[in-house]
Amino acid sequence: AGVLAAHKITASSPDTDLPTVSGLRKMGVNFTVSNKDTVKSSDVLFLAVKPPIIPFILEEVGPDIEARHIVVSCAAGVTISSIEKKLSAFCPTPKVIRCMTNTPVIVREGATVYATGTHADVEDGKLLEQLMASVGFCTEVEEDLIDAVTGLSGSGPAYAFTALDALADGGVKMGLPRRLAVRLGAQALLGAAKMLLESEQHPGQLKDNVCSPGGATIHALHFLESGGFRSLLINAVEASCIRTRELQHLADQEKISPAAIKKTLLDKVKLESPSLSVASASKVSLFTHKSKKN
Amino acid sequence: GKVPASNILASAPSDKNLDAWRELGCRTTHCNLEVVHRSTLVFLATKPHILPGVLEEIRPAVGPHHIVVSLVAGVTIQTLQRLLPPWTKVLRIMPNLPCVVQAGAMVFSRGSNAGDEEAALLKSLLSSCGLCEEVPESYIDIHTGLSGSGVAYVYLFAEALAEGAVKMGMPGALASRIAAQTLLGAAKMLLETGEHPAKLRGDVCTPGGTTIYALHQLEKGALRATVMDAVEAATNRACDMAKD
Repeated sequence: AGVLAAHKITASSPDTDLPTVSGLRKMGVNFTVSNKDTVKSSDVLFLAVKPPIIPFILEEVGPDIEARHIVVSCAAGVTISSIEKKLSAFCPTPKVIRCMTNTPVIVREGATVYATGTHADVEDGKLLEQLMASVGFCTEVEEDLIDAVTGLSGSGPAYAFTALDALADGGVKMGLPRRLAVRLGAQALLGAAKMLLESEQHPGQLKDNVCSPGGATIHALHFLESGGFRSLLINAVEASCIRTRELQHLADQEKISPAAIKKTLLDKVKLESPSLSVASASKVSLFTHKSKKN
Repeated sequence: GKVPASNILASAPSDKNLDAWRELGCRTTHCNLEVVHRSTLVFLATKPHILPGVLEEIRPAVGPHHIVVSLVAGVTIQTLQRLLPPWTKVLRIMPNLPCVVQAGAMVFSRGSNAGDEEAALLKSLLSSCGLCEEVPESYIDIHTGLSGSGVAYVYLFAEALAEGAVKMGMPGALASRIAAQTLLGAAKMLLETGEHPAKLRGDVCTPGGTTIYALHQLEKGALRATVMDAVEAATNRACDMAKD
């Protein structure tokens, strides 16, 4: 996204067959199979692995972590304190930032929040914010809100994809070709979201503005209300948030199955454009880890 | 308080309903024609099936100076004009119950011969009973569904609120008074701030607090759709009844 030059980014993965690897290489990112090398050559470390893998990767790179490193974890449900606890064996004051983002970072419309750990300074948080703001919205929150954020904007795109699929079905039922239906549905949601973000008005007011008396829209909305549309969405956000907390609880108890570890693949990769960058003193690296044990 | 009671003449077949008028200081009679002879502004407030008979009775006495205002549910302006002399200034109004406590909601429409002056007169007189707006006649049935019957929906809601409180341990009488005051207060805020109800609702919802938990329950019960259904059912019924 133009914030950082590609050559200042190092990505590592033990498994070089992953499709993300070639994608990263094409962008001009430095690539290595050694997580340790990545740590040595970077200042900001993004841990982009599935939550159960985090403890293992922290064990692996722990010895190489120095005071200058900022460890950023995007793993759902992994608390700052659990990361700090693991790293404190190697480094007395590890800088940890926990963030929660979502998939639309890929198109630079991500929604990211972050919480800073005990030893992370204000500037460290601001650095992360600057990086993540290049791929969408980014703001700081208290860590205890991150589960709610997961439920809302972490899982949110999935709710939207489901809605869009169904809207397209509606269009097809009423005679539209599928591709056009998908295109129009997506544009409608995109436009509505943009209107809301750019408007001072309450979404309820914006909804009213579309509903002419006795018209098509109000008839349709009645159907949505009858189906409990609103409560379904509230339920979804709640369920996702609660499940995140459950998973975190399980992780805290270190109930990690070896099978889960074996099947792990690269989770999320922060993709940034290799175009002209603002010179930055720090180097960013992306971790992946695939255990070849058992 | 816009018209002195002594200027009001009310008529009814029996004394049963007339006591209330007399207590207010109004004059009373059993003769409809007398009302028409002695008044300019005549309100018709009978049950729908009685009205045709009454109109036939007073028709000979109705003149161009009269303003006839019908409160009779379901009787259209077209019907009224058909049963009265062709020059008659006719208006049709739909009030609701809280008019009796000067917090009513009324809508009215004018017939072919009623002009701005008559509309303004009616509005000015009735505004002392609450909100009074002129509307196209097609809105009158909707007003029935929304506000005429709507009052009953609110009573139902108030009762349910109070029952919830009783379940949680509050004495019934206190719960009922608080429920009513809550509705009154919320309505007052809506009317006075002019804010969108969704905004006011959001203002009450602190994150993770009691209100949002409760609202979730209401949404699960599809309260919104149910209320929309109610307004629709009452409006449709009003339309059907008018056709009879």
